[in-house]
Amino acid sequence: MNLLAQAADPRLNFWGRETGSAALTAIFIALAVGFLLMFAIMRVPTRARRPIVWFFTFFCGSFYVLYYLWPRPVDYQPDEVPQGTVEQVGVFLNDALPRFANIANLLTYILLCLGVFSLARIHTSKFIKKQKDWPFSVVLLVSMLTMAVVGYWNFFLEINDFEGKLMDPENWSMVGYANDMLFDGLIQQMDAAMFSMIAFFILSAAFRAFRIRSIEATVMMASALILMLSLMGAVDFLWSGMIDSVTGGEKASFLNNFRLDVVSSWVKSYLQIPSIRALDFGVGLGALAMGLRIWLGLERGGVSV
Amino acid sequence: MSVNNETKPSIWEKLQTLDRRILYGVLIVLTAASLFIHVEIPVNPERNSKDFYISLMDVPQDKIIVIESDWTNSTRGETAGHMETLLRIVMSKGHKFAIYSIADAQAPQVARDVIQRINAEREEQGLKVYKPWVDYVEVGYSANAEGQHNSMANDVRQAWGSHKERDEAGVERSVLESPVLAGVRQIGDVGMLVVVSASSTIDTAVERMGGKVNMGFMVTGVMGPNALPYYQAGLINGIAVGLRGNYDIEYMMEYGLNYEGPDGKVKNAYVEKRDKVIPPFTEGSTFGRGARYFLPLHVALGLMILAIILGNVAMFVSKSKGAK
Repeated sequence: MNLLAQAADPRLNFWGRETGSAALTAIFIALAVGFLLMFAIMRVPTRARRPIVWFFTFFCGSFYVLYYLWPRPVDYQPDEVPQGTVEQVGVFLNDALPRFANIANLLTYILLCLGVFSLARIHTSKFIKKQKDWPFSVVLLVSMLTMAVVGYWNFFLEINDFEGKLMDPENWSMVGYANDMLFDGLIQQMDAAMFSMIAFFILSAAFRAFRIRSIEATVMMASALILMLSLMGAVDFLWSGMIDSVTGGEKASFLNNFRLDVVSSWVKSYLQIPSIRALDFGVGLGALAMGLRIWLGLERGGVSV
Repeated sequence: MSVNNETKPSIWEKLQTLDRRILYGVLIVLTAASLFIHVEIPVNPERNSKDFYISLMDVPQDKIIVIESDWTNSTRGETAGHMETLLRIVMSKGHKFAIYSIADAQAPQVARDVIQRINAEREEQGLKVYKPWVDYVEVGYSANAEGQHNSMANDVRQAWGSHKERDEAGVERSVLESPVLAGVRQIGDVGMLVVVSASSTIDTAVERMGGKVNMGFMVTGVMGPNALPYYQAGLINGIAVGLRGNYDIEYMMEYGLNYEGPDGKVKNAYVEKRDKVIPPFTEGSTFGRGARYFLPLHVALGLMILAIILGNVAMFVSKSKGAK
């Protein structure tokens, strides 16, 4: 336990390793063991995989359950030595959390790599077999490869730019310009263009589909109009100014209830937010139930392989 | 010979079958044209924007601001303006800041571009330019929001300790050694955490760090309704929602809050917090992207309201004609 917990002797602290060749060796060993484990799991019969996956799911889930339920040391200082098992476990859980987060981050990065690999495999095969729309696959592969090569090349130039010369575009090489054109000039602009297209669909839908055909539709339209008008600062300002001129700025006047900001705030506070809270509450309960089922291995889909 | 009315469609019936490309054309022309018209539109800033502004302006000078930048250019109409306004305030107040991203791998570069843009603007105005490592530090990108927020809430130094950046001399060091993060041990030591987001990372930020640090959000109009319950519940100090929220902040930077102008009138009065007086900004830019896009927003929304009204009137007229 001392190896994992915050021990008095830093050499015994599992998490307190200094970076350097020893740490690098440890990383390579861990990587090799990881690959070996992965290949071993691939060799395991399908039926036997289920308990292995469940064990890891349960172990990881248990960490977070313990983290939230185990008593935590109050005002614990890094140079303090934990006393007794309860405190030692509490300190260990606290210390281990960032590592768990790092492992979760690493897993997400691996998933990203897996996604790239999967995308490349599917589209390469589509191109080789000349399946339907294969030219689009070529465009995707070429774009992906070009962006990766230019991006990494530029990244290495930037990290070796100790004097910060590359901050000024005048000092850019062709790679810098290529990266700028691909990232800022293309990807970012296409992102914005994709999103802005929504405006056209919304306008078209507002004209063709937003019709008062029922009481519900009328209530929805009234709320939408109030909120849209409240987003238009000028309308809000003029409307409120009009009410102020009638009430003479009297704060206690009943007419103040009809200021656009007051009406929209009422709609948001008493109609919109409670509805969202109710939805969130339902989603939260569902997530809790699903989490418990996966953690305890009751969800077949969660642990089947 | 009399003409049969049934064969000659009225203007309302024609509207019912209006080609959508005409609508698209009108939207493009009007919004694009309004981008060239610069007018200052008066507003009454929303209460949540005022609270966000107060919270940001109340951060003590010696405290750092942490910015979570979770947006890309797909939402630049709103979030690029948020980020620019936030950086203008932070830099004008002279706070050091740390910046990290969670939602999207593109986000760090997009944020870096904005920092460069605001630095260039400040250089042009003869103001202090923020230097990496000394005045601000990038804490990188993490792919897992849940893990990262959990880790930050637990121990921010352990969460960020493994990230390295180059110091002034070009030597790679842990970001914890940067003067920016000196004195920061727990997330609560940070003056304020501002999440500039177009995604659901706001949820995990509140779930894991709510109550541990002063928190404020600058989110898109789409994410606003998701984030407002947190504001109403007091889990975050304030929130600037969408383009309107951005313009609210710019407007308060220009005219102050509860501040009596030279004409003797108080602009941006906050009745519930009347004693909180914030004077206008005296250096740097105040109006920016929010002011530039506010008129196009009016035009687009006005057009949408008009489309709804016209569509419904056309439907009723056609119906009543059919009934006759």
